[in-house]
Amino acid sequence: MSDVVGTLYGDAPDVAAGPTPVIRAVDLAKRYKLGKENFVDALRSAAFEVAEGEMVAIVGPSGSGKSTAMHLVGCLDSPDSGEVWLNGRRVDGLRGRALTRVRAHEIGFIFQGFNLIPTMNATENVAQAAEYAGLSRSAAAMRAGELLDLVGLADRAKHLPSELSGGQQQRVAIARSLVNSPKIVLGDEPTGDLDTVTSDEIVRMMRKINTDMHTTFVLVTHNPEVAAACDRTISMRDGVVVDQGYGA
Amino acid sequence: MRFVRNVFRRKLRAFLTIFGITIGVLSLVVMGAMTEKLTLLVNGGVRYYGDKVTVTSGSTLLGLATNPLSSNRISDLERVPGVARASASLGMLLDKQIPTVSFGNIPTINASDGRDRGYETFIVKMAQGRELRPGEDGKVTVGSDIVNKLSATVGGTVKIRDKKFEVVGIAEKTLTAPDQAVVMSMRDAQDLYADTLPAAIRQSIDPHKLATSIVVYVKPGKNPDVIARLINHEIPDLKASGPTDFITQIVASLSTLNAIIIGIAMISLMVGGLSVINTMTMAVSERTREIGIRKAIGASNGAIMRQFIAEAAIIGLTGGLTGLVLGWMFTSVVNAAMEVSGAPLFLVTARLAVGSVLFATVLGVLSGLYPAWHAANMNPVEALRHE
Ligand SMILES: Nc1ncnc2c1ncn2[C@@H]1O[C@H](COP(=O)(O)OP(=O)(O)OP(=O)(O)O)[C@@H](O)[C@H]1O
Ligand SMILES: [Mg+2]
Repeated sequence: MSDVVGTLYGDAPDVAAGPTPVIRAVDLAKRYKLGKENFVDALRSAAFEVAEGEMVAIVGPSGSGKSTAMHLVGCLDSPDSGEVWLNGRRVDGLRGRALTRVRAHEIGFIFQGFNLIPTMNATENVAQAAEYAGLSRSAAAMRAGELLDLVGLADRAKHLPSELSGGQQQRVAIARSLVNSPKIVLGDEPTGDLDTVTSDEIVRMMRKINTDMHTTFVLVTHNPEVAAACDRTISMRDGVVVDQGYGA
Repeated sequence: MRFVRNVFRRKLRAFLTIFGITIGVLSLVVMGAMTEKLTLLVNGGVRYYGDKVTVTSGSTLLGLATNPLSSNRISDLERVPGVARASASLGMLLDKQIPTVSFGNIPTINASDGRDRGYETFIVKMAQGRELRPGEDGKVTVGSDIVNKLSATVGGTVKIRDKKFEVVGIAEKTLTAPDQAVVMSMRDAQDLYADTLPAAIRQSIDPHKLATSIVVYVKPGKNPDVIARLINHEIPDLKASGPTDFITQIVASLSTLNAIIIGIAMISLMVGGLSVINTMTMAVSERTREIGIRKAIGASNGAIMRQFIAEAAIIGLTGGLTGLVLGWMFTSVVNAAMEVSGAPLFLVTARLAVGSVLFATVLGVLSGLYPAWHAANMNPVEALRHE
């Protein structure tokens, strides 16, 4: 079986010994057209893997394609070429219902800053993701309560995002990303807007969830401390992965 | 109610948009209430005149005969083939003068000799008290629209043309002519009528044979228009009219009028619909990042579409309901003011109320369709890059 995979994806990098990858990004390319003549190659044959239960950082200069890679892995956009595999299933090219199901059930997303829907309180923001995944309104609200409890915000459940601090807002976003129990949580600079102390707090919270619940985290960051707190650091430059961070 | 909260996120804009719909629905309700009233009056007339022939002595004014005729003519009429029954009736204005400003029906005094019993199908039921019995003098029943005007109560007395009558019943609303009528015995009506005649004439006739018209009921299967022509031919000094003229002319002109009135109101509502499109388009572009986030956390295109359509529907519904309430208040106030002088001008029917709110809601949904579709089909990555 591994031979077949090896033949099909011959240039796939060595996998760390252990569990099968929950994310496989194979030679991803994405070109953005700017007007008629100009274009940007946001990704050029970017490849990486993440094993189940890992907490991985993605670093690289601005414009190196980190966000684009997150979006492709998170099925928010499709690559021009290459493949995305999640939990052993190929997902690039999915459309319609199948696509929304992957977004709702298999991945949690945390973004930088303005992450929450401003007219909804903390519970409603978290519950919304559960409702999109098919839970009833009351079941979703209950589940949201559990997760706000998990991130220590039970007493802020009825607060609107504007009534929460930046760190609290990101904790609500973490709760939301976990509400449908996905195996993978993707964070695009989740601590980008936070001060060092709060950022540290958030990273520690994610690490605890990673340890306790075995959720895989992939975090794009510019912050070396965040990267240092992860198991491994994937480095990108000019639309390619230059180092998967497995060491020598 | 998350959708409601989203609509009112921009308060002034939501208010202005809803106000646009409100104005449209207000005009639809007011105009519609007028046509509903007209339609009812006409339908009442169609029902009343539909199956009979009305015989008068000649020229008439507002359906009330100017020259009286004698109840002796009943036997002449009943000899005409096809005639089942002829019944004398007397109708005159309630007041000594015709009101200068009037709409619809004018308050009248009505009386019948009772020979129409079993033939007349248009029967006015009493809301309070009882019906007038044949030959019961000094007593009246009062139509629902003139109860206030006469300060009538069952058991009390009313003054009609300077004479006092006891009220034995107050009629149910029929939404047509009888609502404006006082019904009394033929004898009482004949006395009042005789008082209006010049003294010379009064002395030369028997007042208790006076009638203003004779209502002719035709035999089953006979066409009243045909019988009317037959009467005109056989008794040339009387004028008989069948239902056709009344029905065809009035119904035709009424439906044209209704179409014009409703059309004008619809146009003003359409303008309200355009402002919903505008508002929803702005809401979608302001909330681009929100749409990106919703898609990233698993919203289907359908879910996004439903959300924005629901918001547009709420704008339409809210505007529709406020328009209906304002329209209902306006028509009630005007009706109350007109009740003193005569007939109510407006009638807000259930179908008008439900129809206009429904129309506003559907309009909201239709106006929200394109903006919602646009939101649903956004590329999530581009939406997320939006600040
Ligand atoms: N929708 C788009 N249209 C045009 N160009 C785009 C688009 N998205 C990304 N790009 C370009 O693609 C390149 C990679 O962008 P990307 O957002 O993936 O970089 P990044 O590594 O996340 O950078 P940063 O650290 O600044 O967030 C950049 O040059 C960017 O300008
Ligand atoms: Mg980025």
